[in-house]
Amino acid sequence: MNCDEATKLMDGYLDGELDPLTSQKIEQHLRDCHKCEQAYEAHTALSHAISRGAPYYKAPNELRQRVHSSLLDTIGAKDIRSAARENQLLVKRPRAERRFVPSEMPWNWLALAAAIILTAVIISSLLPRLKQPGSDQFLATQLIASHVRSLMANHLTDVASSDQHTVKPWLDAKLDFAPAVVDLSGQGFPLIGGRLDYLDNRPVAALVYQRRKHFINLFVWPAAAGDSKKQELVTRQGYHLLHWIDGDFTYWAVSDVNASDLQNFKQAFEEQTARH
Amino acid sequence: MALPLKAEHASETEDFESRRNIVKFTVFKESDENHAQKAEITSFEDVMLPHLDAAHNLARWLLRNEEDAKDVVQEAYLRAFKSFGGFHGSNGRAWLLTIVRNTSYTLLKKNRAVDLTTTFDEEIHASGDESASPAIIVEHAEDAELVTKAMDELPAEFREILVLRHQEGLSYKEIADIAQIPPGTVMSRLARARAKLREYLAAQIGKE
Repeated sequence: MNCDEATKLMDGYLDGELDPLTSQKIEQHLRDCHKCEQAYEAHTALSHAISRGAPYYKAPNELRQRVHSSLLDTIGAKDIRSAARENQLLVKRPRAERRFVPSEMPWNWLALAAAIILTAVIISSLLPRLKQPGSDQFLATQLIASHVRSLMANHLTDVASSDQHTVKPWLDAKLDFAPAVVDLSGQGFPLIGGRLDYLDNRPVAALVYQRRKHFINLFVWPAAAGDSKKQELVTRQGYHLLHWIDGDFTYWAVSDVNASDLQNFKQAFEEQTARH
Repeated sequence: MALPLKAEHASETEDFESRRNIVKFTVFKESDENHAQKAEITSFEDVMLPHLDAAHNLARWLLRNEEDAKDVVQEAYLRAFKSFGGFHGSNGRAWLLTIVRNTSYTLLKKNRAVDLTTTFDEEIHASGDESASPAIIVEHAEDAELVTKAMDELPAEFREILVLRHQEGLSYKEIADIAQIPPGTVMSRLARARAKLREYLAAQIGKE
């Protein structure tokens, strides 16, 4: 083996990727040729230095969560599609009545009239539902999904702290609004932490509170102009959703605690935020 | 935002305070299909999430930008999940890295086509700097900042092969699969990449 051949195969030799016979030949050449041996040593040193010197970019924790929730979203998307299919079925039902209509038999005029009335009745009873598939109902679904996901995916909090002065700055830095964060340990609802979430087409803050063994997700985002100051309680899938608007923010508390606990929670929260 | 919750599907409606409305909705049970999909996600994650660091590291070196890297890794995991049914191999890391690599290149091609070619102008980059002795180069090669600068100047093909070999310790066969080049090409490309890196390191040292 000559120097050219040895140089060509040096990287393979260095990486231990050559067959034994070729390796032996190179070894032999390196023993005989001082120049190649020096080159090989320099090359090995460089190679090791690259391995040690080049920084390894570990994945940030947040990415793990991002990947996980985007995988879960692939299921969520399907849910919405199948819900839309059900709505479409409802739309078609009244139209089906018209199939009875075309006929030249005189007695059919009665049937026709009856069919028209029936269709009108069905449409008028269905129309209010169909006209507004209920952005609010969709929001309620989103809220519950988000609550459940936070418990299921081991992603309850991005910032786990019972200290409101830790949670608040963390959220403020990540959102374009500054929600009120209060600890309610004294009232039996200790603050567990905070999390970012995405609801109603915007990033929102999720404050996590505990009630005995249950968790309460309190979603907060700025209220739209013209939102009235009302409150409502929705019960769905065994979850209670308590909604209120207070000052600049709209609040949705979601939990499986009972409704009166949720009311107490809201009261405690409002009292504490008023004090701040 | 208007918030009168529609009372459709309502089985029961009652007012008991002027400002409080309670509306009960029908219960939607989670479908079996949903359960099966969740199990699928779990088994996918068991196999693929351990390689998240490797995926992120490769994307980060290829794109040289943290935000792009995160987007690409997320996209790659979604793609991998979709074709997970077709994965029967035992080498999950190599399979995932192939997808990360391809996704990265799609973005690179969109952003800056120039970056992909190795036939860059040797004249411009050639420092002609043989003054830095091997010992000095080796000494500086452990300087992370310097190595990063030199690596980032290399074409994507070279960055990729150096990451796969030096950081992931993959075999030539695995590298050939991921980079989609013949196994015989791996050794020569690696040799060129190392030589180029040494040259750039020498140039960086010369600048100092």
